[in-house]
Amino acid sequence: MKSEDVDRMVILSHPKDNVATAKFPIKAETLLTFSDGKKIEVREEIRFGHKIALRKIPKDSPVIKYGERIGRAIRTIEPGELVHIHNVEGERGKSKSKNIG
Amino acid sequence: MKFLGYRRPDEKVGVRNHVIILPSVVCASEVCNAIARNVKGTIAIPHPHGCAQLPFDAEQTSRTLIGIGKNPNVAAVLVIGLGCEVVDSSMITSKIAESGKLAKNLIIQEVGGSPKTVKQGVKIAKEMLSYASRLRREKVNLDSLILGVECGGSDACSGLSANPALGVASDLLIKEGGTIILSETTESIGAEHILAKRAINRSVRKKIFEIVKRTEMRALSLGLDIGKANPAPGNYAGGITTLEEKSLGCVMKGGTGKIMEVLEYAEAPAQKGLILMDTPGHDAESVTGLLAGGTQIVAFTTGRGNPMGSPIAPVIKIATNSFLYSKMKDDMDINAGEIITGNKSIQEIGEKIFHEVIRVANGKLTKSEIWGHREFAINRIGPSF
Repeated sequence: MKSEDVDRMVILSHPKDNVATAKFPIKAETLLTFSDGKKIEVREEIRFGHKIALRKIPKDSPVIKYGERIGRAIRTIEPGELVHIHNVEGERGKSKSKNIG
Repeated sequence: MKFLGYRRPDEKVGVRNHVIILPSVVCASEVCNAIARNVKGTIAIPHPHGCAQLPFDAEQTSRTLIGIGKNPNVAAVLVIGLGCEVVDSSMITSKIAESGKLAKNLIIQEVGGSPKTVKQGVKIAKEMLSYASRLRREKVNLDSLILGVECGGSDACSGLSANPALGVASDLLIKEGGTIILSETTESIGAEHILAKRAINRSVRKKIFEIVKRTEMRALSLGLDIGKANPAPGNYAGGITTLEEKSLGCVMKGGTGKIMEVLEYAEAPAQKGLILMDTPGHDAESVTGLLAGGTQIVAFTTGRGNPMGSPIAPVIKIATNSFLYSKMKDDMDINAGEIITGNKSIQEIGEKIFHEVIRVANGKLTKSEIWGHREFAINRIGPSF
């Protein structure tokens, strides 16, 4: 299992974010290590530019990037999981949207 | 800071010196192409509009064509009409001529058909080209510059590299007295609160919320999710997950300035500084609206790789990631991907973009100009009838 410094592999755009963007393709089982010693195991391959959960995101809670809400988790997302259209839903511009303007 | 530009009779300053052959209607497009083919150095701008349009669309098409003709990058305009269309070519010509610019009009049905119109048009276009060739660049202040900021084929890096770097360049140009137009209302959905906080006054703040709501409602009134069209498949493949994520990255291109004014599509700004224009996320339609509003240069960020240009303005391409930059180097002017790899800061790339804008204003050709990209599309509101 390869261990990598988290800042080398991903970009965190804002301290409030619960997801980070991959700077390189990241292999499954890579261990991302934080400066405080915390470690996250990457659960699946993350393609370049795609997002990885840095914290547990409970179902229906917001996914945060740029310090802002980019959507809602449609199921609980564990740290190290890929965060994309299979587990996140946008809340704007939807025909059933309650959240206009 | 100064640049070398073409001062026009209305005191606006061009960074290019084009002679354009502009159809008022789709039916005149091929005649325009034929004239431009016969007068090397002129540019035809064919389009599919100008007839069977309801008043709001006819007005928007007219406003766009007039704005394109009045754009300071254009030295002279030959407008070709058919004669029976909704969009009146003589009205368009006289509105363009109000700016003091050389503008002439031929109407195919009055001249007597395609060959005769081409023959007369070629003669006029040659005279216009000769006139334009005698104009010289002069030193002017950067406050004459309007930079349109655009993103197309975004990926998840857009909001992390190229867009914030372009935001730095936008702030630098505004500091020099210049103007930035930020557009693509669809890609403000989910980020309008950030823009609204920076509105110069309450009426601008209200208008920001209004144009975003109007765009969102337009899609919802069709019973469809905007997500079916925007984000595009390539955006999703590039790691963008939701429209909100795309929007939050998109609005960074304008920098951090106060928003001075909100414009309708293809409307010219009355203010300087950071301006918002209501355009769709469709890149060619958005860029066309910006140019009709008087934008002389477009800075365009892309993550997936969009090579598009414009018939009348330089479009500077900024790659959001180094994979794209090395793969599509012939279409890219600047690599902001070095921010992702950590080799350069957002500030450094921002300054690089700013200096490239000045070089391009002085005459340096962009990759899209070198490759002859002339994409042009007028936004339409309703269907044809």
